[in-house]
Amino acid sequence: MGVPALEVLGVSKDFGRIIALRGVTFSVQAGEFVSILGRNGAGKTTLLNIVSGVSRPSEGEVKLFGTDPSDRENKAKLAVISHEMFLYGNLTAIENLEYYSRIYNVPDAKQRVEEVLSDVELTHRRFDLVATYSRGMTQRLTIARALLHEPSLLLLDEPFTGLDQHAIGMLITLLKKQKEMGRTILLTTHDLHTATELSDRYIVISKHKIVKDGLIADTSPDAIREKFFSAEAGGLES
Amino acid sequence: MMRTAISILKKDLRMEFRSKESILAMWIFSLLIFVIFNFTFEVSRLVMLEIAPGLLWVAFVFSGMFGLNQSFALEKENGNLRAMALMPVDGGQIYVGKFFSVTIIMLMFEALIFPIFVIFYDLQLSLGMFRLIPVLLAGTIGFTSLGTILSAVAVHTRNQQILLSLLLWPLVSPIIIWSVTLTGMVLSGEVTEAFYPLLVRVGAFDVIFFTLSYMLFDFILED
Repeated sequence: MGVPALEVLGVSKDFGRIIALRGVTFSVQAGEFVSILGRNGAGKTTLLNIVSGVSRPSEGEVKLFGTDPSDRENKAKLAVISHEMFLYGNLTAIENLEYYSRIYNVPDAKQRVEEVLSDVELTHRRFDLVATYSRGMTQRLTIARALLHEPSLLLLDEPFTGLDQHAIGMLITLLKKQKEMGRTILLTTHDLHTATELSDRYIVISKHKIVKDGLIADTSPDAIREKFFSAEAGGLES
Repeated sequence: MMRTAISILKKDLRMEFRSKESILAMWIFSLLIFVIFNFTFEVSRLVMLEIAPGLLWVAFVFSGMFGLNQSFALEKENGNLRAMALMPVDGGQIYVGKFFSVTIIMLMFEALIFPIFVIFYDLQLSLGMFRLIPVLLAGTIGFTSLGTILSAVAVHTRNQQILLSLLLWPLVSPIIIWSVTLTGMVLSGEVTEAFYPLLVRVGAFDVIFFTLSYMLFDFILED
């Protein structure tokens, strides 16, 4: 087995007196699809921020492809999809994507922009300002923006939040395609069914630490819900 | 190497030309300052020449504050500030792009507002006025080089505008005071031998502020 795509080694994070993560350790192999499950405030987003290099851990270490996540080479291999759009409302879809393609040095940018727009079915609206898009369309464009530079590692932070059924279906299809292409994917979600449909592995974070790291093949959404998110266990929402 | 900076500059200018939000607000704000001062104080031309340079820079820097606040406020929208932190580029390049976009917008605003200033205060135009160009350039660059990085610091906080004012004013004051002095010399037509050394001093501060900001910008983008 080669160098893992991601290694999280004893990571803790606190914001003053507020503890966000405590001694989190796991690794993700290249091509693996891992879902991080946990209640609101469990520390999932903090973990993704640390993995993406935007935030530094208070303790512990993160390695992306064997090196520091804030290395420029690593950042070029990474894409983040979250509830934040990373788009400019006062630019058109094509202007947004051309901007990011220049930043990420995407080869054959014009063709690649058309490809990703077509993948998310937004070709017909490419010259419209993003501010005029619906929430679902904006999220589809967010996905197109993230896939533009063909990242090796995709970090998805609650990507289904606020999406309509059509957009959720499209995102699931796109994620399956990315998985088939061998991309490494780390997803945080509340949606146990989607997580178990897409992932190879799941990690449950509770009270800022990992309480379960298991294979999806060995379980079911109901079993996960029953064991970690039942009313007795505190529910899925905090 | 400058690819990122140019991309950010082009994106910012495109958005500004499309909305004209910053430049219009800056222009109207300055116009109000000129109108209020012109009609409130009945002073002789001699006194006017003494207060005009200060008045001009009051308009520039207060309007410039608006431009600086806008520059990173639009990055905060939709999480673009985080997107910048995720970019596989040197933070200095992001700083250079933002610095040039703010500076160009401010210089354009200055070019638009200066003729109004000349009309309101009945200033005599002469060839010597061309000396104002390096003065405005040096003063503006000093203001925006420091303002750009401090605006990026302040945007992370809830009271962005107050914090930017608190951080920027003490540091940028020398440049503004020297720029007012230099502008006064040009407008009064009394350019003494102190003019060029003072201009060089402003330029030196510009270089120091720009270089330090370029080097430190990577740390600003981190959480």
